[in-house]
Amino acid sequence: MNDAIREMQEGMERHGYIAEHSIATAVYLAKEMRKPLLIEGDAGVGKTEIGKVMARMLGTELIRLQCYQGLDVNTALYEWNYQRQILHLKIAERDGKDPAALEAEIFSRDFLLERPLLRAITRAEAPAVLLIDEIDRADDGFEAFLLEVLSDFQVTIPELGTIRAVHQPYVVLTSNNSREIGDALRRRCLYLYIDHPSFEKEVSIIRTLVPEVSEQLADQIARFAQGLRARRLAKVPGVAETLDWARALVHLHRDHLDVDVVQATLGCLVKDHHDLDAMGPSETAALVAAARDTAGVS
Amino acid sequence: MIEGDLLAHLAGFAGALRARRVRVGLSDEVDAATALPLVDLLDRDEVRSALRTALKIRPRDWQVFDEEFRRLWVEREAPARPAPPLSQPPPPSTNPAPRAPLPRAGNPSTAPIGVDAPVSESPDGEHAGYSPDVLLRRKPFDQCTPRDLAELERLLERLKLNLATRPSRRLVPVRGRGIVDMRRSFRSAIATRCDFLLLARRARAVEEPKLVLLCDTSGSMDAHSRFFLAFILALKRVARRTEVFAFNTTLTRLTPWLAPGKIGITLDRLASEVPDWSGGTRIGESLAEFVLHYQRSALDSDAVVVILSDGLDRGDPEVLVRAMRAIHARARRVIWLNPLLGDARYQPLARGMEAALPFVDFFAAAHNLESLEAVAGMIAA
Repeated sequence: MNDAIREMQEGMERHGYIAEHSIATAVYLAKEMRKPLLIEGDAGVGKTEIGKVMARMLGTELIRLQCYQGLDVNTALYEWNYQRQILHLKIAERDGKDPAALEAEIFSRDFLLERPLLRAITRAEAPAVLLIDEIDRADDGFEAFLLEVLSDFQVTIPELGTIRAVHQPYVVLTSNNSREIGDALRRRCLYLYIDHPSFEKEVSIIRTLVPEVSEQLADQIARFAQGLRARRLAKVPGVAETLDWARALVHLHRDHLDVDVVQATLGCLVKDHHDLDAMGPSETAALVAAARDTAGVS
Repeated sequence: MIEGDLLAHLAGFAGALRARRVRVGLSDEVDAATALPLVDLLDRDEVRSALRTALKIRPRDWQVFDEEFRRLWVEREAPARPAPPLSQPPPPSTNPAPRAPLPRAGNPSTAPIGVDAPVSESPDGEHAGYSPDVLLRRKPFDQCTPRDLAELERLLERLKLNLATRPSRRLVPVRGRGIVDMRRSFRSAIATRCDFLLLARRARAVEEPKLVLLCDTSGSMDAHSRFFLAFILALKRVARRTEVFAFNTTLTRLTPWLAPGKIGITLDRLASEVPDWSGGTRIGESLAEFVLHYQRSALDSDAVVVILSDGLDRGDPEVLVRAMRAIHARARRVIWLNPLLGDARYQPLARGMEAALPFVDFFAAAHNLESLEAVAGMIAA
């Protein structure tokens, strides 16, 4: 293993993210090659967390742009502060100022509201981490616009001219795969797919993030979750759900799983009506038995 | 920069991937060439992760990637060979052996449909002089002659479907009513020294629905499937965001073959892309496969799912029920078109059909052109 990648892996772990070799490699490459990193994977596998951990590791600001259908340039890039501009004009009217000077005044940086994308490229201190979350929710038109920003790291505002990036930000994009991301954008980025964690990884995630959990319980929780994922559920629980569940069990002062407590708290893990129906007492009992049994052996 | 030998390996590797239909572009190769010197070249896992990241390999291509990667790695391990075969250009014909178009009963015509359909075919005495359109519209597909079919395809091409009736979340400039667009209002007010004489406004755009078409191409549908595909091509022309799948015993995604650039694609070529055309039916398994692999990217609350099938299923109804429930939960509307429904004696008693019905919003006939035209209304509604 490359030393720098090992360092990256350990650094991420120190900041609360248990990263596999492949994840550490991708993050390291994105950082070194200064390319955006596009992360795909199921809900709750820790895509967004990578952006946050990167910001913590680099000791820089995290600028987040949450995408949604109908997101437009005004909300993503910049907007003029119209109310202030009008107020300024009305006050200036009394003084009878020169119109040209007045125009230059109201279209200056003071009247500009920076939205996440602009903020990310104008940040003066050090490169920020720009997290563009759930890019698949934005329309394809926005994707095309993003492409332009991500390739040149400059933005043109008609009234102000072109603003170039002071520092090129580290960019992380996440996608839940609710829409296929265009090839052009994909090509601009490096690509990482995060799968559900292996048993060992899940145990160590639980123990790191919920330290109150006993070793035995963490083991059983992970085994149960793995068993659940092997079934054909409509909504497969992610690590986020497992962690919620672990915290819930800690609140209930449990140190092992039994059928009653699992049935009572299954809502933390299984969040679909039909899936819950499918997990009746007998199915739960079988999974609990499997989780406890193997735990006893190892 | 990386050494030439490695570069040749990389180029060969990318070529091999492309040959197996994994989309890898030149810019991806450049990324990979930049990435490789940054990792430990002796660590197999690390090289694999790095290549996967830099070449942007999606999970669905992982298997092919891993196979090719194993081959690449073995060759790298044996440095004795000076010129690895991988650096040669990939063999020309690498697509899974081109299947010969399967013979289909009653369809000897191989005329291309689509933009260059045989419009100019001179009508003979039988058709000249009066408009046979009305009759043709009502003629069941399984009674159509090849000439009728060509004529129907011509009618379909003229079919102007207005599907764009849904307000989207996107705001576009409009005159009159709508929410005030400050940016544009302000710019126009500058001319009048900031007296807002006119307010610019924005309102929700009207968008065409997202269509997902699942077309049964099994043997029992033979008489209809050719025409259904023609109908699908017509829909694809008016609704850009359309995903097309064909199924019989397995599911095949046809959308890439219907891309806008690929005009003049023949039905026979399409048919040759679908394995087991005219074979048996396993609707439940096919739809379950759709749910497993494509549901998340193809379905959302805007999507209208159209299933064209006679519902004669040989699989387990329980599988079909589960798949239909998942589809119904995610889509805006599910439409099932059944060519058998045109027959007054038909009752949807086939086990598969019966199981699927609770999850269908519209269950309609699709045995002639007239019934298909009515479908357009359901899609846009």
